[in-house]
Amino acid sequence: MIKLSELTKDYGTTIAVNKLNLHVAAGEIYGFIGPNGAGKTTTIRMMGGILAPTSGNIIIGGINMAENPVEAKKMIGFVPDRPFLYEKLTGMEFLRFSADLYDVKRDIFQQKAEQLLQQFALWSWADELIEAYSHGMKQRLIIASALLHDPRILIIDEPMVGLDPAAVHMVKDIFKELAAKQTTVFISTHTLSIAEDLCHRIGLIHEGTLLAQGTLDELKHIAKLGQARLEEVFLSIIKENTFI
Amino acid sequence: MNTILPLLRPRVFSSINSLRRGNKKNNWSRIFMFGTMGIVFWIGIFIIFYRVLSYFHSVQDFGDILAMKLISMTIITFFMLLLFSNIINCLSQLYLSHDLPLMHSLPVSAKDIFLSRWIISTFDSSWMILAFSLPIFLSYGLIYKANIIYYLIFFMAMIFMCIISSALSGFLVLFGAKILPAGRIRTILIIMGVMMVITIILVLRLTRPEQLVNPDSFASVVLYLNSLQTPSSPILPTTWITDAIKAALNGEARTYLLNIALIVTFALMLISLNNIAADKVYFTGFSKSQTTPQRLFAPLKYKGFYWENLLNFLPRESKAFAVKEIRTFFRDPSQWPQLFLMAALIVIYIYNFSVLPLDNTPIKTIYLQNLFSFLNIGLAASVLSAISARFVFPAVSMEGEAFWIIQAAPVRTRNFLWIKFFLYNIPLIILAEILVVSSNFLLRVSPFMMVLSVITTFFLVPAVVGLATGLGAVYANFKLENPANVVTSFGGLLFMILSFGLIALVIILEAGPVYQIFMADLRGQSLSLMQIMWVIVSFGLAFLLCAFATIYPIRLGEKSLLIK
Repeated sequence: MIKLSELTKDYGTTIAVNKLNLHVAAGEIYGFIGPNGAGKTTTIRMMGGILAPTSGNIIIGGINMAENPVEAKKMIGFVPDRPFLYEKLTGMEFLRFSADLYDVKRDIFQQKAEQLLQQFALWSWADELIEAYSHGMKQRLIIASALLHDPRILIIDEPMVGLDPAAVHMVKDIFKELAAKQTTVFISTHTLSIAEDLCHRIGLIHEGTLLAQGTLDELKHIAKLGQARLEEVFLSIIKENTFI
Repeated sequence: MNTILPLLRPRVFSSINSLRRGNKKNNWSRIFMFGTMGIVFWIGIFIIFYRVLSYFHSVQDFGDILAMKLISMTIITFFMLLLFSNIINCLSQLYLSHDLPLMHSLPVSAKDIFLSRWIISTFDSSWMILAFSLPIFLSYGLIYKANIIYYLIFFMAMIFMCIISSALSGFLVLFGAKILPAGRIRTILIIMGVMMVITIILVLRLTRPEQLVNPDSFASVVLYLNSLQTPSSPILPTTWITDAIKAALNGEARTYLLNIALIVTFALMLISLNNIAADKVYFTGFSKSQTTPQRLFAPLKYKGFYWENLLNFLPRESKAFAVKEIRTFFRDPSQWPQLFLMAALIVIYIYNFSVLPLDNTPIKTIYLQNLFSFLNIGLAASVLSAISARFVFPAVSMEGEAFWIIQAAPVRTRNFLWIKFFLYNIPLIILAEILVVSSNFLLRVSPFMMVLSVITTFFLVPAVVGLATGLGAVYANFKLENPANVVTSFGGLLFMILSFGLIALVIILEAGPVYQIFMADLRGQSLSLMQIMWVIVSFGLAFLLCAFATIYPIRLGEKSLLIK
């Protein structure tokens, strides 16, 4: 469902992502972890069509992002790391705006929007201006808006930042449900426990290079650690710069 | 108190760092360009004042009275400007800046934060007025052959005028923010400011100041001087400042020393009062400013009526953008009050044509009417350029940090820009046509000129809007705290230059053929083959130029916005 081949982003002074190759199947939850400045957000932004790669390809559901970005983006629900929104719109108005851009059927919009706002505990705030929302509420609204058009792929940068424990629990359940319905979920996160609990496979990126990827057990094997937690695996691989 | 300097450091270092080579795009070119413009403006003010004062000085008695009146009028104007700009700056610096939560989390007293912010606000609000007051008072000094004391007194008086106005503003803002959230005060101030400007413009225009140059309008010198009356109470600081400068100019040491003492002590007293007040109320006000105020106006709702449905004829994507743009505009208190300003300008624009003394001129009215009508196309387009600079040029930057939504959405950048273009082009074309047609009616122009004006405007406005949309995208800045400020950037200035250049070119291209057609029509002759060719080539070129200016900048903007 997601295929990155030889994906590179060179900012001139630094190579943020260096010849990244990875494949994520339908229904898979893929966790992308790495230290600060590893290239996670750059990769995610390229996958979301917000940043152009210097070289390499991004194939989303069989469509090349560089050749047909509009069709590729229609399949994606994108959630950035920082929840910047149109502050002068209300939550409901923002969802309608998103629905119009993603061509959500008019007859199902109202019901779908209401269901998502209820689910994300934003229904009572639906007609308030977004500028009055808290950071967590904005984050929940963005996730709700990303789910509005039933995307086949969900790309999320730091999904749990600003969310309260109840919201974290709910979002985790939603991701699992989506994966069960064959939606691909690509998550970048610093929170290793989330990657550990949620992800079918985990990729570890450091200084723009994918050092290791696989299930948690496979990563433990790579790190030559027996019953360790992901945190120890992470530190070990980063320290050793173990390549796949 | 010893924390004030460290609190000022981020601002000082940011300013220094922004000058570093390669740190910011176009920074040095911007400084050079705005510096040159500033110097030209400075020299212009000096020349005008020097000439006016030389003239006044040459008129016995009456001239000197006028020159002194001019000082008090200048001081009052500067003081009012300083007061208003200080209030706006103080509100931002003390309550609305993004770094304030960080500042208040530091182990420093609220009083010190207030003082450091007040110093920054005073500097930001004052330096320009101080710089541009120099040529005025320099010309006074030169004309009246003043000694070094005059310059010293003038400099002190100006510095303390800035401090007094800033301290008064600080006081007003401190207590204002205790009653109302700071965001709401800014909204109210913006609305009040716009209303004040509209009132001043309307009053100035409707009192017909052109009559001042007509000596028949005044029965005596006394009446004339009364018309220039300005308030001068002995308890007003502006009176002390004016008197100090006047006394220094005339070499009256006792008067200027007394007035300077009054100014300095008053300023110091205000600073002390501010300090006490800040200690008591600043943090409470800041705390209040952290809450989101209720909407100023509740949304209007009628049973079953949704204004959005009026846009149902648009494609879905375009309607979504249009609705978003309109909502955002009318909910932003720094945007919608400017519509009143535009309305006032339109009224004055049309009013000016209604009072043109066409019948009192030695030139034949029919020539004059049609000449005005032709030039009116350029004038209306120039007004539209200024409006485009304010509203259309920042339109892309107004997306701000939320621009990721557009980038991530299945929307082509080209469509996004064209939708923006049409959103602004349609109302602006209607506005321009209203200006041109109504002023042509007042001028009673020939049908040919009416048709020409309507058609030229119809093609010229999209060219200006296209230029603004395209260059606005090329020079977009999504990180500005106030995106509307992008118009003061290099790109904004480039747009204004290119836009005026385009209007001038179109007018020049049309001028020759229009004259030929107009004269042939007046003489009842037909055009020669050569003239017809000229007309076709000129009008064709003007059309191509407009089409190019409409399309090409948007393509450039698209390239620039495409993900990199």
